[in-house]
Amino acid sequence: MISGSVASLERFTYRYPAGTNDALDIAELRIDDGLTLVTGTSGSGKSSLLRVFNGLVPHFHGGTVGGSAEVCGQDVINTATRVLAAKVGFVFQDPELQSVYPTVERDVAFGLENIAMQPQAMKQRVSEALERTGIAHLRERAVATLSGGERQRLALAGVLAMHPRMLVLDEPLSQLDEDGARSVVSILAVLAGAGTAVVVAEHRLDQLGSLGARMLAVEDARVVEGTAKRARRGDDAQALRVGPHAIATNVAAWELRNVATGPDRTPILEGINLSARAGEVVALIGPNGGGKTTLLRTIAGLLLPYSGAVDRASGRVAFLPQNPMALLHRATVAAEVAWTVRGDPPSADAAMLIDELGLTNLAARDPRDLSTGERQRAAIAAVLAGAPRIALLDEPTRGMDDDARDALCRAIRRLRADGSSIVIATHDKNLVAALADRTIAVGAGSARELAPVAVA
Amino acid sequence: MNPRALAAWSLSGITIALATGNPVYRVLVLLAALNVLVALRRPDVSLRGLGIALLLAGLIATAITTLASHTGDHAFLVVPQAIPVLGGPLTLEAAFFGASTGLGIAAAVLAAAPLSLVLMPNSLVDALPGALARTGAAIGTALNLIPGIARSASEIRDAQRMRGWRSRRVREWPDLAVPVVLTALESSITLAEAMEARGYGSGPRTHYGEIVWRRADIAVCVVAPAAAVAFVVLRLAGVIADWYPFPDLSVPPIDVFGVMCCLALAIPALVWRR
Repeated sequence: MISGSVASLERFTYRYPAGTNDALDIAELRIDDGLTLVTGTSGSGKSSLLRVFNGLVPHFHGGTVGGSAEVCGQDVINTATRVLAAKVGFVFQDPELQSVYPTVERDVAFGLENIAMQPQAMKQRVSEALERTGIAHLRERAVATLSGGERQRLALAGVLAMHPRMLVLDEPLSQLDEDGARSVVSILAVLAGAGTAVVVAEHRLDQLGSLGARMLAVEDARVVEGTAKRARRGDDAQALRVGPHAIATNVAAWELRNVATGPDRTPILEGINLSARAGEVVALIGPNGGGKTTLLRTIAGLLLPYSGAVDRASGRVAFLPQNPMALLHRATVAAEVAWTVRGDPPSADAAMLIDELGLTNLAARDPRDLSTGERQRAAIAAVLAGAPRIALLDEPTRGMDDDARDALCRAIRRLRADGSSIVIATHDKNLVAALADRTIAVGAGSARELAPVAVA
Repeated sequence: MNPRALAAWSLSGITIALATGNPVYRVLVLLAALNVLVALRRPDVSLRGLGIALLLAGLIATAITTLASHTGDHAFLVVPQAIPVLGGPLTLEAAFFGASTGLGIAAAVLAAAPLSLVLMPNSLVDALPGALARTGAAIGTALNLIPGIARSASEIRDAQRMRGWRSRRVREWPDLAVPVVLTALESSITLAEAMEARGYGSGPRTHYGEIVWRRADIAVCVVAPAAAVAFVVLRLAGVIADWYPFPDLSVPPIDVFGVMCCLALAIPALVWRR
């Protein structure tokens, strides 16, 4: 075992219980203080690697493990995750599913309760963690009322309260807007600078990449130094750009006229006048909680406006929700796509879409067994099958690597060329740069069109 | 307020409501409980749903007793004997007995309601004895999953509707039910993973919310159970008379000690402030 490192793995192999291949096959890896970024394509094994550091692999997930792994001086293979939790903090990809208590303050204290800290000391730690993550003002709020960004910071606060020696984060920026991401990145930079070993798996390298972090790539179960083959910085998005797109038609696809809309009997957007044509891609951008999803749901007809009118051209409307699991329930990816076009005349469209999104090798797999990025692609294939007249996509690149994003761009361009009207709500500025014919900023109760930006 | 003291108060209210059939005492317990709820309920809590549910329960209890019990001297309607169960005289005595039963149910439910409408759910879990702490935390966490599952069910319904799912076709219901169940299971597993990663189960736990006993808490914890015990003892000794409307409807007897015991249940609204 290599000494002096916060974590070290030697000849470490891991295979999931039902797996036919090793999910991890690592000759040697050591993690030191400071920031380490882990990149890799969807399904390459990033999440599995992160879970080794706190023992969820193998203790929670089972499977077969070989070699040795030591974290913070403890043998991972023979130490339970709940014991390692005192030294290794872990922030999961979906912050919504890691809150244990219904209020912010209590949720931050959960880990401290588990290590039997006395109430007075606990209160101090909770206050400190809330301050560090910038959510002290939310102390008494119900967790259910928080935005995605606030929830991510809450998850981070819950972990920081434990004063971990090592902090592991699985795609912490995937659901955050620019400000939220910047805030989390600055917290991580401070922690790494103060001597905590911070390990982050992330596809969004535009903000993290500038921190001078050590880069690791997971490729085919192995870990190598440097970035993954396709991992690319945000400023490389130029490669995706195809230049201005001439709208082929003047046919209106949908229109909102003086609409006031919002969920839970509260209008959060008012006086909205927007429209789009067939063969056009419209991007909705704006902060978490600004109303992008509300606007998409209103266009889709899932949310009735309080006032004003919504017109849609006849034809199928496709809607991709933020959570791909809301769609996936068939036994295979192919069956999932086929379910959407059931009753339609047979066509090669579904198979083409599966191929276009790089899902051919996964078509016979259960969608729920796939990685986050792969699930997202399966969900996109499921909603876009059958050439919808209008396609409304909520955060379609969540959890996606660059290859998957390229594939999505190709599929959307083809739909656009075929006359579909596409609306994308996203924080992904690279996607906006690559696809959007028009950009609409949604927030502060309104939606306004941004002036077109010339493509270099 | 101390959750254990509130639990003692609730138990006392339920005891009195169920220890007598006298509608006067049941009304007093109901009013005392309502007073506590109105004065101390959490700001985010509305009593409208509970009120409607209790009103319905009271009406149903009255209707069932009136229609099914044909005892009593004062018949106000005779249903033909040919109608099974309902056939026979409908009496004022049965109607009043049914109303009293409904009052008893409403009083008992309202006495228990502050445990969920005044306290935060976790306060009650924190108040559990040490031996039940882990079980309590697990139950509290499971309850916390319910709103998320409801949200995801609504999200799944919308997503499937956009793919042509129609709720009117029974054969398509599995297309909604299956993803809802699968998503709930996955959410539970992810939450379990997150709890494990945050040290749950590593040993004895402490509680963030300290259980503090103030004078007001002690007062509630002493006065309410003492009133309940006194009520039961006096009721068994025959000092506090019960009420039974059959066979001839009569005015419920009122005893000053019984009234005092019931009024003592109003103590939380006097000593506690939200």
